[in-house]
Amino acid sequence: MTNHWNDIQHADVILAIGSNPAENHPISFKYIEKAMDQGAKLISVDPRFTRTSSKADIYAQLRPGTDISFIGGMINYALQNDLIHRDYVVHYTNASFLIDDGFAYEEGIFSGYSAETFSYDKSSWKYRSDPQGNPLRDPTLQDPRCVYQLMKAHFAAYTPEKICEITGTAIQDFMAVARTFCATAGPGRAATIMYAMGTTQHTYGTQNVRSYAMLQLLLGNIGIAGGGINALRGEANVQGSTDYALLYHILPGYLKSPEYGDLDLADYFAKTIPRATDPKSVNWWSNTPKYLVSLLKAWWGENATAANDYGYAYLPKRSGNYSFLMLMERLQQGGFDGLFCMGTNPIVGGPDSLAIGQGLGKLKWMVAADLWETDTSVFWQRPGVDPKEIQTEVFLLPAASSVEKQGSISNSGRWAQWRYKAVDPPGEAESDAFIIDQLYRRLKNLYAKGGVFPEPIVNLSWNYGSGHEPDIDLVAREINGYFLRDVEIKGKLYRAGEQVPAFAALQDDGSTVSGNWLYCGSVTEDGNLMQRRGKEDPTGLEMYHQWSWCWPVNRRILYNRASVDPGGRPWNPKKVVIAWNEAAAKWEGDVPDGPWPPMNKPDGRYPFIMTAEGLGRLFAAGLADGPFPVHYEPMESPTINLMCKQQTNPAVRPPAKLSNPEQFPYIGTTYRVSEHWQAGAMTRNLSWLVELVPDMFVEMSEGLASWKGIRNGDMVTISSERGAIQARALVTSRIKPLRIGGKMVEQVGLPWHFGFAGLAKGDSANVLTAAVGCANTTIPEYKAFLCNIEKGGTQG
Amino acid sequence: MTAARYVLHEIQSYHRFIKFLIFLVALAAVGSTIRFIFGLGATTNLNDTYPWGLWISFDVVTAVPLAAGAFTIGVVAHIFHIKKLEPLVRPAIVTGFLGYSLVCVGLMLDLGQPHRGIYVLFPWNWNVHSPMFEVSMCVMAYTTVLFLEFLHPVSERFGWHIPLRLLRNLQIPFAILAAMISTLHQSTLGTFFLIAVDKLHPLWYNPLLPLQFWLSAIFTGLSIVILEASLVHRFMGQPNESDLLATLTRIIPWVMGCYMMVKLVALLTFSEGALFDRPVLTTLFVVEVAVGLLLPFWMFLQSRIRTDKSMQLRAASLVIFGLVLNRFNVSMFGMIQPGQQIYAPNVLESVVTVGIIAAHILFFVLMAKYFPIFEHHPEAVDATIPDTFRRVGKEELKAIPVTVLPDP
Amino acid sequence: MSARTDFSRDKAFLIDMTKCTGCRGCQVACKQWNQLKAENTTFFTGEGYQNPPAMSEHTFTRIKFRDYQKNGQNEFAFYKEMCMHCNDPACASVCPVGAFQKTAEGPVVYLDDKCIGCRFCMIACPFGVPKYEWSKAFPLVRKCTGCYSRVQEGLKPACATTCPTAITYGPREEMIKEAERRLAAHPDRYLQKVYGKEEAGGTSVIYLTALPFDELGFKPVTMRALPSYTWQALRLVPGIFLTVGGTLSAVSWFQHRKEKVKQAETESKGAACCAAAEAAETSKEDHQ
Ligand SMILES: Nc1nc2c(c(=O)[nH]1)N[C@H]1C(S)=C(S)[C@@H](COP(=O)(O)OP(=O)(O)OC[C@H]3O[C@@H](n4cnc5c(=O)[nH]c(N)nc54)[C@H](O)[C@@H]3O)O[C@H]1N2
Ligand SMILES: Nc1nc2c(c(=O)[nH]1)N[C@H]1C(S)=C(S)[C@@H](COP(=O)(O)OP(=O)(O)OC[C@H]3O[C@@H](n4cnc5c(=O)[nH]c(N)nc54)[C@H](O)[C@@H]3O)O[C@H]1N2
Ligand code: SF4
Ligand code: SF4
Ligand code: SF4
Ligand code: SF4
Ligand code: SF4
Ligand SMILES: [Mo]
Repeated sequence: MTNHWNDIQHADVILAIGSNPAENHPISFKYIEKAMDQGAKLISVDPRFTRTSSKADIYAQLRPGTDISFIGGMINYALQNDLIHRDYVVHYTNASFLIDDGFAYEEGIFSGYSAETFSYDKSSWKYRSDPQGNPLRDPTLQDPRCVYQLMKAHFAAYTPEKICEITGTAIQDFMAVARTFCATAGPGRAATIMYAMGTTQHTYGTQNVRSYAMLQLLLGNIGIAGGGINALRGEANVQGSTDYALLYHILPGYLKSPEYGDLDLADYFAKTIPRATDPKSVNWWSNTPKYLVSLLKAWWGENATAANDYGYAYLPKRSGNYSFLMLMERLQQGGFDGLFCMGTNPIVGGPDSLAIGQGLGKLKWMVAADLWETDTSVFWQRPGVDPKEIQTEVFLLPAASSVEKQGSISNSGRWAQWRYKAVDPPGEAESDAFIIDQLYRRLKNLYAKGGVFPEPIVNLSWNYGSGHEPDIDLVAREINGYFLRDVEIKGKLYRAGEQVPAFAALQDDGSTVSGNWLYCGSVTEDGNLMQRRGKEDPTGLEMYHQWSWCWPVNRRILYNRASVDPGGRPWNPKKVVIAWNEAAAKWEGDVPDGPWPPMNKPDGRYPFIMTAEGLGRLFAAGLADGPFPVHYEPMESPTINLMCKQQTNPAVRPPAKLSNPEQFPYIGTTYRVSEHWQAGAMTRNLSWLVELVPDMFVEMSEGLASWKGIRNGDMVTISSERGAIQARALVTSRIKPLRIGGKMVEQVGLPWHFGFAGLAKGDSANVLTAAVGCANTTIPEYKAFLCNIEKGGTQG
Repeated sequence: MTAARYVLHEIQSYHRFIKFLIFLVALAAVGSTIRFIFGLGATTNLNDTYPWGLWISFDVVTAVPLAAGAFTIGVVAHIFHIKKLEPLVRPAIVTGFLGYSLVCVGLMLDLGQPHRGIYVLFPWNWNVHSPMFEVSMCVMAYTTVLFLEFLHPVSERFGWHIPLRLLRNLQIPFAILAAMISTLHQSTLGTFFLIAVDKLHPLWYNPLLPLQFWLSAIFTGLSIVILEASLVHRFMGQPNESDLLATLTRIIPWVMGCYMMVKLVALLTFSEGALFDRPVLTTLFVVEVAVGLLLPFWMFLQSRIRTDKSMQLRAASLVIFGLVLNRFNVSMFGMIQPGQQIYAPNVLESVVTVGIIAAHILFFVLMAKYFPIFEHHPEAVDATIPDTFRRVGKEELKAIPVTVLPDP
Repeated sequence: MSARTDFSRDKAFLIDMTKCTGCRGCQVACKQWNQLKAENTTFFTGEGYQNPPAMSEHTFTRIKFRDYQKNGQNEFAFYKEMCMHCNDPACASVCPVGAFQKTAEGPVVYLDDKCIGCRFCMIACPFGVPKYEWSKAFPLVRKCTGCYSRVQEGLKPACATTCPTAITYGPREEMIKEAERRLAAHPDRYLQKVYGKEEAGGTSVIYLTALPFDELGFKPVTMRALPSYTWQALRLVPGIFLTVGGTLSAVSWFQHRKEKVKQAETESKGAACCAAAEAAETSKEDHQ
């Protein structure tokens, strides 16, 4: 989230698109309704009429996988009707930047494409610059090669008629959404976008998000109270997990993980640190060396020295894509001996799950550390297989749940809140920290006796006390970081052993330790700030700076320097996020995105401190599939692309098993219900929740049901190229067919919470989904695939 | 001969109808046992939509007015002092006592916590706002009164002189007490349903329901006396009392008339909401009124019918039918909401209710067999024998005629 | 009937169905706090995702789903069923042993150690709230406790604590004021009615909705406190009791006196007496 949960109440318009907050983020609805009580309008854009839609002022149905068309239509509407926040766009975005003449776009393909490799040579996706390398700009936005004009041209085809033909949305619904949302252009009014998996789980998921961000930048809605683009994060602490490098391509604090060719620190820095030419750009990533060296010091302590590049050599170097999809592919090829499933249940949650089940059988061993016996941990008992034929040795480690241990948890709004242990774990269950600690100790002992490259393990600095399990307070102190020797910064002396007050004080000379620079400032000499529960709210915007601690440096709204005009005066004087106090020469309100004076002061800085140009990117050259979003069809689609010749995302290689529209004519989409959690181990084993949603079901329209002779509650079989499952038919007017390119297309919706193990069993929707992912993140395309449905099933 | 042997032998000598009744009662006993082992849910078709079913509608709500013969005939014979009706009193009391006892049995089966039934008596639990409290107190008190009255033939049978004398002196106070208590609980059974203002259909719901329950109990009580006397005459060889009954048939239409007036007024002025919106309920109402009320009323107005032994019986039966239907209409059919699933008692429930009815007949017959219920009309005892009671000798005991059921 | 007439400080639920997302957190929180058994369900038992089929001994509160189309618009509406904690509760008024009590704090509580299990409360409650333990040999009644034990400790009920959006809990008078404020502030959002303000004589559960109440499955109820309906009859009981007793005593006395007088007359008349006695004798013979 750029903003945070409480802040949603300040929006004038709330667009829930690709998310279903009423069902999946129920608490967020408290703030949505607070906003609505003040007169805000809620818009729900979803293929299905959900519990969120039921509360919305405007509901617009769209076909799964057509968000770019829909938002592209809104961008076009805003540009054509000049419903943009012009000052904001000119000053705070790269709209005025001129683009290199080599850049081109035609029929869904940008310049530099290679059809063999399904990838782009992005060298032409760049700003036109002067000989010194400074980008050229046209603040009048008139130059046909400026981002603004290119963008306008790019989206000109996204007319209401065209996009509704693609999305299946009723044109008056689309117009209502566009009018209502774009009415927040300019200062004084705010719109927020709440998005989640309906947005991201597509082969162009990142571009979906991009389209939201572009719209918000055009309307001037980023950085302000009640604005932003807000990812409703999923698992309770998934924000924390990502901050701590859950993903394969990053290190803690979103530092890039080194690649194969990055031989030493200098190489790595040369490749990863972006260069800014404009002195007004902060280009925060230029601090990378401080953060990386402090991280290496945290990991290898005294064994990380300037002489050995602080142990850089110990870091694994990535030589490819290790995303979930690729791991599963390799698993199926027999590429692994062993697998650790710590708090994950991939045989239910992963796409094309029958294949995952087969892959698991090729393992020599598997460890599952979980609260429950998951479907994955008993994969050898799944229906249709003979357990005797599976040789995998499976270990189930009972894990302690969140209330049975203490530690921090970071919510979507980046607030890291400390939780205390409420009860002891039952039976032999142990915390994950204990499990990891034991693993480390045993591995270290083994490596001490020899092995290939033992140093990264035996040299680890592991100072978390001598208790039964690592002392979490010590872990938190190390994550924040402390000084290893006395250091003087801006005239202030910090003693060795003192906690580092904030990441600005981290050093690249090995004098500081910090396990995650983003969290530097969370445990200072003032104590563990994540434990704070202060309710003071001087801003009046419910920011509660004394409640827990928020990264970065307790800033509650990211890019808040964009909430003021270049002179430091708030765009909206009624909802002041920050304001420049001329007399005191300092900012007031939220913690600003850096202390520098407003942009138009001599040593002022641009607001978007994380980009090299310091400005919001309407043209983003870094992505794998193009600087502007383009409407492509999902990998499996019942229609040809009505927008351009390129059918699917050109940067995604089609998978082997694809459903064809003749055999599988219906659009399938998967989603969550309030009553179940994810792959289901946590809820399908709780009778109170099983009572509410006891078995697998599929939602379908009344028309499709009567055409197929299916009545509510009947058992039906749903199939795709990957497999077939059974479910009960939930016939409802909340699901409707869509008119696509002049013909009616039916869609069916399936929750994906069911699996073959546990108290409540049911077939998994992921038997049907395709193992193909987003060009940028490889998140699987769970939200749009093709399937067939027939009445009847063997279960009844 | 052991006692058991004796009993068995005795039973073997019974008429096969009696044996059949014993069988029915035994079945009901089994049913009741099942209820106490497996619970009401497993044994009955009751559920949260129908918390009250056959056992309440028949065994309580209907059985109580059906047992009203005791107090009505008591009032008529003792209070209004129509002495010639006194021969009808004792059988009515026995019926009443049996009736009320069996109501208690029915209630015990139906209560979730039968062992706590006594809690109603504890002053700290008293809730005077509860019709159920009132009815419970009344039923307990009245059953006790009936029991004491019933001790009459028992004392006579065993020659307990002192109690007999005492009881005889208490006869009139008891009759008054019986009427007082009965008035209360017969009407309060109607009050039960006043709380169901949003549930009971306006065809039956009105604030005069208690009054209607009371009035209908009176004329039905009298009709029951007619029915009973006729059956006893027919099947137990007792004398034909149709001329006595004719007296009753003259009283009944008066009460029925009042009842109909009240019902009409209630319907016309006190009912709220559409009356004839539900065809099934309308039919039930029409049957109740036409067959169970107007027809017997008309019949009782005919002196030819009033004095005709079999027509008396028919008219009385219609009245009883009307009351049963009325009580079911109020306590069950009229409470069914549109679209609600229909309740029907299951086999076990029905077996228990049939058993309770069978028990009633059985015990009555057995009482008549072993106790002086018909032969010593109280009037005869009172009027002719001075207070010189003695222990009845064995030989004499044997001489007391035993009721023999004629082969049907 | 309750002795109290002022319920303004009673704790009450303001349940705003327009704010309810149908998440059913309340349903689960209630089961957890009260440690109620889960019901065995298959598929859904009603519209939408509704489950279980009804409130029961194991389910004190339930979200009813309405999933249909009206004027071409989808309606997906929710209604939280629970005990209404009536000001003057019918359940309490009919209970023969006083097992239901209206507490000073607001909740209507059930004292299971008193209950005899007659189920009159179930007949009486206009909202169909009390449920029975049908599976047990010696069943008791079960219903929403209003989380009285929590309320006594100054906590909010479990369902109200859990609810992210729809439930406000506080003094009844304030809840009604807040409800009326909302109706005035958003006239287009609400049906202009505060349900529970007067229903059944006033309840401690107050609803606001967008859809008409009957469409949501609200039961039609009278505006009068239900106990007043029975009390108008029951309050006559002592009077009737004494009247009947007195009248019958008088009648009896009169009739017997009449007879005694008659007897005396016949005795003095002598001959006539014999005739009467004879008549009596003959009739007696008939009977034997
Ligand atoms: N109760 C509950 N809450 C949860 C979870 C849970 O399992 N249960 N999971 C948590 C996790 S890990 C996550 S990631 C989040 C996910 O939260 P959400 O993203 O809200 O979850 P989904 O239900 O998968 O998808 C949201 C909606 O996207 C719609 N949709 C499908 N395709 C498209 C599309 O192409 N475009 C648009 N605009 N919408 C589309 C679906 O109909 C669905 O209603 O929820 C978290 N919260
Ligand atoms: N078709 C389809 N598939 C999807 C999605 C979709 O929308 N559609 N959504 C995807 C998304 S967004 C996600 S996030 C994934 C989720 O997929 P998974 O992460 O595999 O699913 P979960 O069920 O959340 O698995 C978490 C496990 O962790 C256990 N657990 C809980 N707490 C602890 C703990 O403290 N320690 C340990 N060791 N274990 C713990 C739980 O019991 C549970 O079994 O699924 C994806 N799959
Ligand atoms: S389940 Fe937990 S994380 Fe999700 S909305 Fe409820 S309280 Fe928040
Ligand atoms: S709703 Fe029913 S159970 Fe609850 S207090 Fe009112 S009458 Fe009693
Ligand atoms: S069932 Fe229990 S609580 Fe209900 S009225 Fe009877 S005794 Fe009272
Ligand atoms: S008040 Fe308590 S008992 Fe009643 S519904 Fe809410 S949680 Fe359940
Ligand atoms: S917890 Fe609140 S929002 Fe959720 S279903 Fe219950 S009343 Fe509705
Ligand atoms: Mo997720």
